[in-house]
Amino acid sequence: MNLVRSELLKIRTTNAWWLLGLGAFLSLVLAFAFNAFYAHQVLGGNAEEFGASGEAATVAGQAANIYTSGQFLGLLFVMLIGILMVTNEFFHQTATTTFLTTPRRTSVIVAKLIAASLLGFAFWLVTTLINLAAGAIFLTVDGHGAQLGEWTVHRALLFNLLAYAIWTILGVGIGTLIPNQLGAVITAAVLYLVGTQVVQLLFLALSAWLDSQAILKWQVVWPAVASLVMISGEKSDILPAWWVGALVLIGYALASGVVGVLITRRRDIA
Amino acid sequence: MSDGQRSPTPGDGQIVVSGLTKQYKNLRAVDDLSFAVRPGRVTGFLGPNGAGKTTTLRMLLNLVTPTSGSATIDGRRYADLTDPLRHVGAVLEASSAHKGRTGINHLRVICAAAGLPRGRADEVLELVGLTPAAKRKFKGYSLGMKQRLGIAAAMLGDPRVLILDEPANGLDPEGIRWMRGFLKGLAAQGRTVLVSSHLLSEMQLLADDVVIIAAGKLVRQGPVEQVMSSMTAGGRVRVRTPQADELVAALREQGATVTPDEHGVLLVDGVDAPTVGRTALAAKAELHELGTERPDLERVFLELTAGKAGIR
Repeated sequence: MNLVRSELLKIRTTNAWWLLGLGAFLSLVLAFAFNAFYAHQVLGGNAEEFGASGEAATVAGQAANIYTSGQFLGLLFVMLIGILMVTNEFFHQTATTTFLTTPRRTSVIVAKLIAASLLGFAFWLVTTLINLAAGAIFLTVDGHGAQLGEWTVHRALLFNLLAYAIWTILGVGIGTLIPNQLGAVITAAVLYLVGTQVVQLLFLALSAWLDSQAILKWQVVWPAVASLVMISGEKSDILPAWWVGALVLIGYALASGVVGVLITRRRDIA
Repeated sequence: MSDGQRSPTPGDGQIVVSGLTKQYKNLRAVDDLSFAVRPGRVTGFLGPNGAGKTTTLRMLLNLVTPTSGSATIDGRRYADLTDPLRHVGAVLEASSAHKGRTGINHLRVICAAAGLPRGRADEVLELVGLTPAAKRKFKGYSLGMKQRLGIAAAMLGDPRVLILDEPANGLDPEGIRWMRGFLKGLAAQGRTVLVSSHLLSEMQLLADDVVIIAAGKLVRQGPVEQVMSSMTAGGRVRVRTPQADELVAALREQGATVTPDEHGVLLVDGVDAPTVGRTALAAKAELHELGTERPDLERVFLELTAGKAGIR
C-alpha cells in the first residue's frame, strides 16, 4: 500500500499527468462535438446517408457513442502514462533509488500496475462524468431523452472503464519490455494508431489469399482490434463476439504484467 | 538525528565482501574480491577508473547480481534487510531524481515507499542545508545541490551504514570541505562510512582505512598510515647543499640514488636522513636543508596499481 501511494505521488509531483489529462480533455471535446453532430444527423433521419445501421442507428446506440466520446485518444493517453511510470525510472535514473528503497522488485512492479489501474479509473471517471453531463443535456435538448436507463449505454460505459484500466496496465507492461522512453512511446503509438489499419489490411489480404472469411476473425489477436471488438459489442459476421476481445485484452495485460515482473527481477540496474 | 544521536538499529554495522565476482561477456569486472569495512571509521574505496568500484557497490546494494560470492551489510544480504533504508543509506549518481520534480517531493516519494513519516523529508533537507531550495525543481539544481539531495535521501532512514560512490565529483572546494566534515561527523557517531573515489588527495584527508582495488582485484586494505608505510620504507630524503657534486658522489658510494630537481634540491632514495647527514659531514658538505618527504597516498596508489590501471 505504501508503494502504491509512492507511485501515485510520483505521478502527482510531475507535469505528465495534467499534460496528458489536458490532451485527453481536448480530444474529448473534439470527439464530443463530432459525435453530437453525427447523432443529430443519424437520429434526424439521415442514418443511411451517414452510414449508420443496426444498433448504431438507434437512439441508445448514439447515446452510448456520445457518452464514451474521446475514448480513442483517451486510451492512448492512459497507455502513455503507464509507459512513463516505468520508463521515467530509467530515463531519470530513479530506478536506483526506487530499488534501493524496495529491493523486492516484484512489489514495485505490482504497485505500478495497481497505481496504473487506479489512474485509468480516474481518467475514465472524469471523462465519463463530463460526457454524461454534456451528453444528457445535448440528447434532451435534441429531443431524444438522456437514455441513462438503457443497457446499451450501461454496457458501453462499463467496457469503456475496462478499456481504460487495461490500456494503462498494458502501458506499464510495454515500459518494462522497452525501458528506452522514446522507443517505448513510439512503439506504443505506432501499435495503437497505425497498427489497426495495417492489421485489418493484412487480414483482408490473407483472407482473400486463403479464400476464407473465418480468418478475418483472428485480427482480434491485435490489442487495438480486440479493444474495438470489446467496446463495440455489436454482432458482426467478420468479427468475433465482444467477450473474445475482452479476454484477449485481459490476456495481454496479464502477460505484459508477468513478463514485466520477470524481466525487472533479473535486470542489472547500472 | 540532528543532535548527533541516533536510535540503534540491530546489526554490527559491518560490511563484508567475500569472494565477490562479476563476469560480463568479455570482462571480469570484479574478480574474487574480499574485504571488510568497520563501523566508526571512514573507509576509502580506491581504484583507477574502470577498476570495478561502482560494480562492487552495486552488487553490495542488490542492484547488480553477482556471478558468484557474497556481500553482506549487518550480516545480511541487502535484499534480505527488512527495512533497508533504516540500515543503509546510499548515494550513487548525482543525477538520480526526476528533472521536473522538486527536491522535497523527491524525498517525499521515498518516504512514502519506505513507510517513513513525511516530515522526515524536511528534516534531512535541513541537515544538508538544502531547505532554501526545497521547492525548486531538480533540473535547476547545481551539481553540489544534487549531491546534497542525494545525501539527504540517504539519511532519510537514519541508517547505521552509509555508502557513497564518488561523492566529491563535481563539487567546488567549499562543497568538498562540507562533505568531508559531514562524513567524518557521521563516522564519529559510530556509523560505517564507505566512500569510493579516485581523488587521492581528498581521500588522504578523509579516510581512516582504505581498500585499494585494480582490475577488479584487491590490491591492499588497512588503515591509511599502515598502507602508506608498508609501501615506502623510509621515504625519500630532500637535501640542499652548495657542495652538491661532492655530496652526490659520496651518497652514490653509499648505494643511494640521487636525482637533482630544478630548484637545486637533491632527492635521495635508498638511504635514510641520518645516513645522508653523516655522509655530508664526512664529505665536508655544508647542509642548508635536510628532511624526509612524507609519502602521499597518490604515490603509494600509483606504485600499487602500476600497470593494472587503464582500459581493459
